Amino acid sequence: MTSTKDVAAMPAGNTPPASPRVPTLRARRRRKGFGDSVLPYLLLAPGVLAIGALLIWPTVQLVMISFRKLDLRELVTGQLVWVGVSNYGDVLGDPEFWEVTVRTLVFMGAVVAATIVVALFIALLMKQLNPVVRVLLQVTLVVAWATPAVAATTVFQWIFDQQYGILNKTLALLGFDGFIGHSWFSDGPSTLTVIGLLITWQAVPFVAFSLYAGLIGVPREQYEAAGIDGAGPWQTFRAVSWPAIQPILTIVTFLSVIWDFRVFTQVWAIKQGGPDGESTTLPIYMYLKGIAGSHFGPAAAIAMLMLLVLVILLARYIQLLLRSKEVDLK
Amino acid sequence: MKRWMKLAAGAVAISLATAGCAGSGGSGNTAQSNANAPQQLSGELTVWLMTGSAPEPLTNALHKEFQDANPGVKIKYEIQQWNGIQQKLTTALASQTPPDVIEIGNTQTPAFAAQGVLADLSDSVNDLNGGQWLKGLKDSATFDGKTYGMPFYAANREVIYRKDLFEQAGITTPPASRDEWLAAIDKLKAKFGSDPDFQALYLPGQYWYSLLSFIWDEGGDIAKAEGKNFKSTLNSTEAKAGLEFYKKLVDASGTKAPKDNDEATPQQAGIYGGGKVAMFIGTPGEVATAAKTDPTIKDKTAAFAIPGKSAGKSAPVFLGGSNLAIPVNSKNTAAAKAYLKLLSGQKYQTEIAKGGYVPGTSTDISALSSDPFASVMAKAAQNGRAVPSSPKWGEVESGQNPLKDMMTAYLTGKKSIDQATTDANAALDKLLAGS
Repeated sequence: MTSTKDVAAMPAGNTPPASPRVPTLRARRRRKGFGDSVLPYLLLAPGVLAIGALLIWPTVQLVMISFRKLDLRELVTGQLVWVGVSNYGDVLGDPEFWEVTVRTLVFMGAVVAATIVVALFIALLMKQLNPVVRVLLQVTLVVAWATPAVAATTVFQWIFDQQYGILNKTLALLGFDGFIGHSWFSDGPSTLTVIGLLITWQAVPFVAFSLYAGLIGVPREQYEAAGIDGAGPWQTFRAVSWPAIQPILTIVTFLSVIWDFRVFTQVWAIKQGGPDGESTTLPIYMYLKGIAGSHFGPAAAIAMLMLLVLVILLARYIQLLLRSKEVDLK
Repeated sequence: MKRWMKLAAGAVAISLATAGCAGSGGSGNTAQSNANAPQQLSGELTVWLMTGSAPEPLTNALHKEFQDANPGVKIKYEIQQWNGIQQKLTTALASQTPPDVIEIGNTQTPAFAAQGVLADLSDSVNDLNGGQWLKGLKDSATFDGKTYGMPFYAANREVIYRKDLFEQAGITTPPASRDEWLAAIDKLKAKFGSDPDFQALYLPGQYWYSLLSFIWDEGGDIAKAEGKNFKSTLNSTEAKAGLEFYKKLVDASGTKAPKDNDEATPQQAGIYGGGKVAMFIGTPGEVATAAKTDPTIKDKTAAFAIPGKSAGKSAPVFLGGSNLAIPVNSKNTAAAKAYLKLLSGQKYQTEIAKGGYVPGTSTDISALSSDPFASVMAKAAQNGRAVPSSPKWGEVESGQNPLKDMMTAYLTGKKSIDQATTDANAALDKLLAGS
């Protein structure tokens, strides 16, 4: 706008050289535009192809399989047997599915909440610690984070072992004789608590580091200003730290929900969803109903239903995410 | 510009379509191998055997003899790991060029047979020494009256014990009945009980293969066939009696084994190798595992058959083992059958026995008699039994096994015997009925 005004305000004598220049530039741009406008698409193509081949196509396949009967027989002979929505009907008609869904949601909620609270506490702690201690803490966190899930699960199984576990032995040493030979895996809630602890333990480092990154982004002056204004620790946290980490918190919560909802390895490795199926979560249910017996149709249907549950759960977050992006673009 | 965009979109579409072709795979595979082609075998023969199944001298000799007889055939021998084998087999069977000979665990065989992915061998049984097939394995390879596999080898459990500790406790002859067994436990405890780490018998709570012996010994079973289907019988009086005896053993021995885990976690042979255990129920192969912890333990160890209810008659045992099968999509069925025929012969069956297993297609077990562990096992194998040959049984083992939950619940006192068996019965029925 301003430049147009300037041009318009220019003395008449200067206009002739200027006016041919503008069209020439446009013309050149148009001629060049052929390659120019294709180039972005060409550059995008590998990404689009990769996403198409790795994400979109498998999802389309999954949707199609969920409407098929696909057992080993069909897989080997290559038959296409369409069964309509009967896979969905079978799953939704199974009372166990609903029980497992509720259990999964409660379990996921508890694990996510625990992860966020512990991680937030550690992030705040890291900010206050002496550098040496902080590095020590950070190294420990990274090690916990880097431990492969199955290895961590095995260690937890040893810790909680009924006879040889270090936990029961320690508790007995401390005088809690009731824990001699106590079985931590004798019922669903206890088993899920141990699994939840394990998952939280491995999930905390990532969240803690993300939040810590947000916290160190806050200029020191803001804390000083808050101090001068006489804010207490809680008020400082609410007014200074919280706004800085709130967007990060939203994202890590979002991610944690996705991860903890579909976690399989740890739950399966600890007790295969037992005893009596009391620690079975949706991914385990899918494995048992589908993969274990090579019934890929119902497995795909359960996977689709899980996706649906996740979308419903995260609709609000997705909305928030899109909205905050718009804000950034402005 | 629009043209370019169209082109780009077209390229995406094409690549998606081709990716799709690769992804959906296996469709339209109607090529059938000509099983009845005239002799003079040729082509490639891919053989998949499991790790630890066939000793190397056996396969070397076998492959050499086969190669000499059929110079046109190229054998591709691959050793597979048990871990994740079911998924690997599923993928392999669905491919255009599956292996031609595969080894399948006997409890998994009915599932594969029922899905029609194995070649029907009914016409070849006589060629494969069918008269001498080990019954427990034969049953597992039979589905709907047809034969889908050839027994390969089997192993079963026995009681492995410390000779020296028995001697010190004053036990002169190995127990031959349940009462003698319990008496031996008492004597061992009287002698060594002052050591808090000592266990007369190591018996984990979810060792359901051992429980099967006791249930069968009482005359019960896990499930009984009703036409094509199976109905769980875990709440029968006999099954309850078997479970009660299991608890009696656990209580009498004061075993420190976990009640909520099976014999593999922790590895029971490793615990036995620690030297504080006088007995455990295991396969002869586990003695070698124990020797890894303590190399001297093998010389101090012997075995007796799992004692039965009535004196002098050992309890029935679960036969674990493998069958050999030919995938229905195999491109070289003729060569695969010739391979199985050669392997089913006396010569190689003797080799299997020398390797410490009960051979699948020969009743001659003399080669096992020289080994103190294998001879006891082979004798007990005569009374070998199998799990229900239901195509759903594989899911029972690979998923949440109701027998394990039942054992833990009863042994820890969480459920009464009636409650535990009734719950397990219902859960097993649900699994065996399946979807």
